[in-house]
Amino acid sequence: MTNNWMRRQQRLGYIFIGPSMIGVLLFFLIPAAYSLGLVFTDYKFMNPNVGFVGFDNINRMLHDKLFYLSLKNTVIFLLAVPVSLALGFVVAVILNQRIYLKKVLRALYFMPYITSGVAVSFVWMLLFQPKQGPINGFLRAIGIDHPPGWLSTTTSSMFAIDIIWIWFLMGYNMIIYLAALQEVSPELLEAAKIDGARPGQMLRKIIWPLVSPTSFLLLVTGMIMTIKTFGIIQATTQGGPGNSTTILSLYVYQNAFRYYEMGYASTISWALFIIILIITAIQWIGQKRWVHY
Amino acid sequence: MLVLAIVMVMPFLWMISTSLKTPAEVFKYPIEWIPSNPTWEHHVKVWSGTKSFGTYYLNSLKISLIGTIGATFLSAFAAYGFSRIEFKGRNGLFMLYLSMMMIPPQVLFVPKFIMFEWAGIYNTHWALILPAMFTIFGVFMLRQFFLSIPHEISESAFIDGAGHFRIFFRLVLPLAKPALATLAIIDFSWHWNDYENALVFLIDENLYTIPLGLQNFILENMVDYNGMMAAASAAIIPMIVVFAIGQRYIIQGLTNSAVKG
Repeated sequence: MTNNWMRRQQRLGYIFIGPSMIGVLLFFLIPAAYSLGLVFTDYKFMNPNVGFVGFDNINRMLHDKLFYLSLKNTVIFLLAVPVSLALGFVVAVILNQRIYLKKVLRALYFMPYITSGVAVSFVWMLLFQPKQGPINGFLRAIGIDHPPGWLSTTTSSMFAIDIIWIWFLMGYNMIIYLAALQEVSPELLEAAKIDGARPGQMLRKIIWPLVSPTSFLLLVTGMIMTIKTFGIIQATTQGGPGNSTTILSLYVYQNAFRYYEMGYASTISWALFIIILIITAIQWIGQKRWVHY
Repeated sequence: MLVLAIVMVMPFLWMISTSLKTPAEVFKYPIEWIPSNPTWEHHVKVWSGTKSFGTYYLNSLKISLIGTIGATFLSAFAAYGFSRIEFKGRNGLFMLYLSMMMIPPQVLFVPKFIMFEWAGIYNTHWALILPAMFTIFGVFMLRQFFLSIPHEISESAFIDGAGHFRIFFRLVLPLAKPALATLAIIDFSWHWNDYENALVFLIDENLYTIPLGLQNFILENMVDYNGMMAAASAAIIPMIVVFAIGQRYIIQGLTNSAVKG
């Protein structure tokens, strides 16, 4: 009887997760295995002669200057994550006080996060317009004679993308911090106040350590999300000027669907996966070590 | 705070105001926030030309709606299996499931492209709808919620002779309505804004979704700044409306899965 029941449970379990598992198999597992296989081929779109090339693609990647440039650009892109984190924290602390229009303010900060990345990319493209754009218009008005060229020069383009990305991510970080701040016990803060702690001290010594798990989580998930994105760059600069905004995810896309070098594109995509794996591993170890509960 | 919040929404305000200006007023400095002679002609152009945003809207709506309904239902189904039925290998399968979240979409683009081509769904809406039906985040989020439903509820139903299917449809789904709504709204916004997948899997212009249609419109009208901003408004405003209505759900869903996950 119990054995029968167990078997029924087992079967029902598979029935419930089955449809989802088939989807994961078809759209995640099989493609991932396929892609790993492509790393060792010279597969090009529409070319029926696929050859096994061993480690050639990996070798090529390790000697590809553009790969290293994309890696460097990816790192600069990632700088947006801690900056948006810090800003999100500050705004959350202020919004957590009893202030007017709290809900409206929260919504305004959060708005960029839910809007279409492509649409906002085009808006920023015009805002950043170097000669006549409103941002440089403002900078000239306050006395900066040679404002940056933003998306139009090789030195400033990646930082201009960072600004857009900080603007985009900040609201998300802010709402997650707000939720974390609400969990900080008011008694603790009250006690610290009685002991004579100043607001700055309370922030540094009590609130910041208490929300450190949240900071850590936002840092890691923000980095992974940032590494996977390329839409805003494809829409604004397509990696230019002169490859200065080509990040790894975009470089994969270009190799696959602009040059049809699908074997090579797969190789770079796995490099991307390895980076995500490393960040995730740091998260696993870090959770135990660095997070202050 | 209010000042900084206004800075945050300034790009949107500038977008809307520019879409109503004449070409000569676009880059006037100081910025004219309220155009002196507002005109709707750029918006009319976006909606009426040979490539109308109406088509893109219908395409996006179709893909996002079918994808979201499918994903919400299938996620709930799997989340029930992962949270309320005990079977061998459950935790291992769930870990495998979660680990799939680490795979960057770039790894999957090329093989999916080849597979879809082979299956004859490349350059059709199915290439976007079918994968959209499966969301690992959705299973994860709903599983969290289902775990919080007390076990006594299903136990008493078991005693009354109900099976898992009946408990799922009659008890758990109705209880999970807020969680389902949250997932549906978040999921919908992802599909509505999805650009990368559409970029890879669609070529025919009459199949384009809003992000692709917008890009197309803008690349063709690169000097028409007012038109660009009218088109961007068309792409953004529906999401702002959805957000205004479902704000509570979106924020709750994201914070629950981030803070307590």
